Amino acid sequence: MLPKKFRLLLFVQFIALTLLLTVVNVNAQALDVFKGEKGEIMISGGTAHIPVMKDAARNIMSINPNIRISIAGGGSGVGIKQVGEGLVNIGNTGRTPTNEEVAKYGLKMFKWAIDGVGVIVHKKNPVKSLKKIDLIKIYSGEIVNWKQLGGPNRPINVYTRDEASGTREVFWEKGLGKKTITLKANVVVSNGAMKSAVANDPNGIGYVSVGHMDDSISPVTLDGVNPTIKTVKDGSYKISRGLYSNTKGDPTGLTKKFIDYLFSPEGQKIVVENGFIAVK
Amino acid sequence: MNRLGEISVTFFSWLCALSLVAALGTVFVFLLFKGLGGMNLQTIFGDTNAWDALTLRKAVFNGLFPAIVGTILLVIISVVMALPVGLAAGIYLAEYGTGRAKNIFSLFCDILAGVPSILVGLFGFSLSIFLHKYISQNIYPCLLISAASLSFLVLPYLIRTTQIALEQIPSEDRLTALALGAGRLQNIFYVLIPRALSGIVSGVILSIGRCAEDTAVIMLTGVVAMAGLPQSMLAKYEALPFFIYYISSQYTDMQELQMGYAAAIILVGICAVLFVAAFFIKNRLVERMLFRI
Amino acid sequence: MISRFEHLIEKSFLAAALWSMALTILIFVFMLILGLPLFREGRFFSLLFTPWIPGEEQFGIYPMIMGTAAISVLSLCFGAPLAIGVSVFISVLQPGRLGRWLKKVVVLMTGVPTVVYAFVGIFLLVPLVQSFFTAGSGMNILTASLVLALLIAPTMILIFSGSFENVPISYCNAADALGSSAVQKFVYVILPYSWRGIITGLILGAARAVGDTLVALMLAGNAVAVPGSVFDSARTLTAHIALVTAADFDSIEFRTIFAGGILLYLITLIMVLTVRFLSSLKKEASP
Repeated sequence: MLPKKFRLLLFVQFIALTLLLTVVNVNAQALDVFKGEKGEIMISGGTAHIPVMKDAARNIMSINPNIRISIAGGGSGVGIKQVGEGLVNIGNTGRTPTNEEVAKYGLKMFKWAIDGVGVIVHKKNPVKSLKKIDLIKIYSGEIVNWKQLGGPNRPINVYTRDEASGTREVFWEKGLGKKTITLKANVVVSNGAMKSAVANDPNGIGYVSVGHMDDSISPVTLDGVNPTIKTVKDGSYKISRGLYSNTKGDPTGLTKKFIDYLFSPEGQKIVVENGFIAVK
Repeated sequence: MNRLGEISVTFFSWLCALSLVAALGTVFVFLLFKGLGGMNLQTIFGDTNAWDALTLRKAVFNGLFPAIVGTILLVIISVVMALPVGLAAGIYLAEYGTGRAKNIFSLFCDILAGVPSILVGLFGFSLSIFLHKYISQNIYPCLLISAASLSFLVLPYLIRTTQIALEQIPSEDRLTALALGAGRLQNIFYVLIPRALSGIVSGVILSIGRCAEDTAVIMLTGVVAMAGLPQSMLAKYEALPFFIYYISSQYTDMQELQMGYAAAIILVGICAVLFVAAFFIKNRLVERMLFRI
Repeated sequence: MISRFEHLIEKSFLAAALWSMALTILIFVFMLILGLPLFREGRFFSLLFTPWIPGEEQFGIYPMIMGTAAISVLSLCFGAPLAIGVSVFISVLQPGRLGRWLKKVVVLMTGVPTVVYAFVGIFLLVPLVQSFFTAGSGMNILTASLVLALLIAPTMILIFSGSFENVPISYCNAADALGSSAVQKFVYVILPYSWRGIITGLILGAARAVGDTLVALMLAGNAVAVPGSVFDSARTLTAHIALVTAADFDSIEFRTIFAGGILLYLITLIMVLTVRFLSSLKKEASP
């Protein structure tokens, strides 16, 4: 008889191997549905979704080069309009489509991730914490200098997103309480653009998807809560939103398979890898 | 004008010339400095093997290859669409137009040349929506629409260069064939166009350059951030100028920015090659013609 | 004795010319048709003077008109003197090898893609402006105008040079015979003679500045407020069209783009007509 410790080790290894094989099998299955298919999937809309879309598309196109997936940005508004008008198969939004939009286009919504919208400043900015009331005043143009917040004597450069942006919509609603955003704010067109703008401007302030945050910028603590995946998940950080993929009517064929893939374990793994919260 | 005035004018003029050269030099040196280091097979083909990518066996995901191919296809299709029309219209203006009609056509040509490119893009976009609603649900902004819009953009250049090239042929050459009994059309195709070929070809090459670099038109008519190689004319595609634009504001790490610089160098390289080619063709062809006489 | 086939070919030449004419008109007509709801509600003219606040249902393009005006004028202020200086160098001061070489460089510059100029502007000029002036983000009217000036200068230089070199050689010889220096020749003989060419060049440079999209889109900040200083972020009509078209195409918001488009088209039209008019003026034979 083998020594006890060794038997235990062998047992553990056996279990681990079985688990591994199951997981690999499941993964292969998730992409298997795409084998033998042919066609095109056109995706546009929210820019926060793009990294996940790209990873999913890469996996699918690697396994089956006959499938073409094209991905464009434009913001949530674009996603809704284009999928509604039949210009794309999937329209991504970073906010829930309104009742009018759903009714007008017959949209079906699929939420495959949870994300938050956090305020960001340049890494060198000493002001790393704000009260919500101050945030509202900064964005409305009432507070114009960092020294009014305990920072250096520098003018505040406000960055905001374009009107089609779901990120902007969520920030405006939940972060600013629907107060006005100053007309003088610099407008950038995507989450990625917001990140590079603030990363390059020592006096800048902006807002970006929590999943997109990295160490090129500093997140701002809002009313004592840090915008991280953890705080969004447990609800302590209030500015949260779902990431949706919408289709006109029920999805069929290749589009349905793509959306199912997003909900599959492998798809949800991609979601987590990109910094968002999985729904499953 | 006193000496001081003269000296200041001369000084100002030299200053301007030097500033211009310095500015251009700065642009090139900056690009090369930042981008040359990133010019390698990985920037172009990403993680895919170069041979697999070129033989279309595997798709390229994080490389410039699809954008380069997209730009090349775009240019070829738009020039093919614009060339016959531009050539024909130029021939008409040079050979058949009467004073009044010629003036009016030429005015419209100038207006078309002056229309901002974003409006041509807007026109292409509206056209595609119109086609989508009333002709076929399968038509979206795509490679075909972009190429068509670009052909609208370069049409005035082609018309004008063809017209000028034909008009510059001296009247002796123009009349010789006619005097020997050739018809008007025969004269045009066998005598005049070969004579004007160098001008026409350099016009074509300049149009190619214009199509390769334009961003405003393609932004509105079908170019996207990621699409791989376009499978058909009705597919979305990638292109170099759009890649440069969108990576400039949305790069997520230094590697992507490096790709942006590399793309800029490649694009400038393509345009420079085209320019030099136009210059040489213009001269070489002229020499060949002269020696054939 | 022309065969049917040849007739057909000749007709096709005419058709091609007519098609290019039709295209020019079609572009304008499409904008009019798609912008029709604006006219019907009498909103077109009010759009030209109201601000852009979609949240409050205000879709005016006034701030963008001001943005276009500010950037175009400023870029001409930088670009025109530069262009005149360089063309004086090429055509008057150094018409020999140095001038010819510089002319080739200028021609090369017209081939550099706009997006590359703007790209270099973002990574080279914006940080410079930001650290130098400390007001604003570096993406403002000043930065955009500087790069735009570099963009429109080559076109203007070539036109100016062309008109300087078109002065009848007898005039120049006369000036030389009387012992004038190059600068004197320029100021007293060449310049007065080529005023038409200079104005043409300025107008075409302005048209190019007004019609450019990418430089303003990437460098001017795109804020929707009427700019108050050169360090303010601004949005041009062209950048506005690019930004909003990406967003929408069926609402009244989208249709206001056509107001901007119509305005741009008309501005271009006026500039082209002015240039044509100038070149049709009989050349005076005055000394």
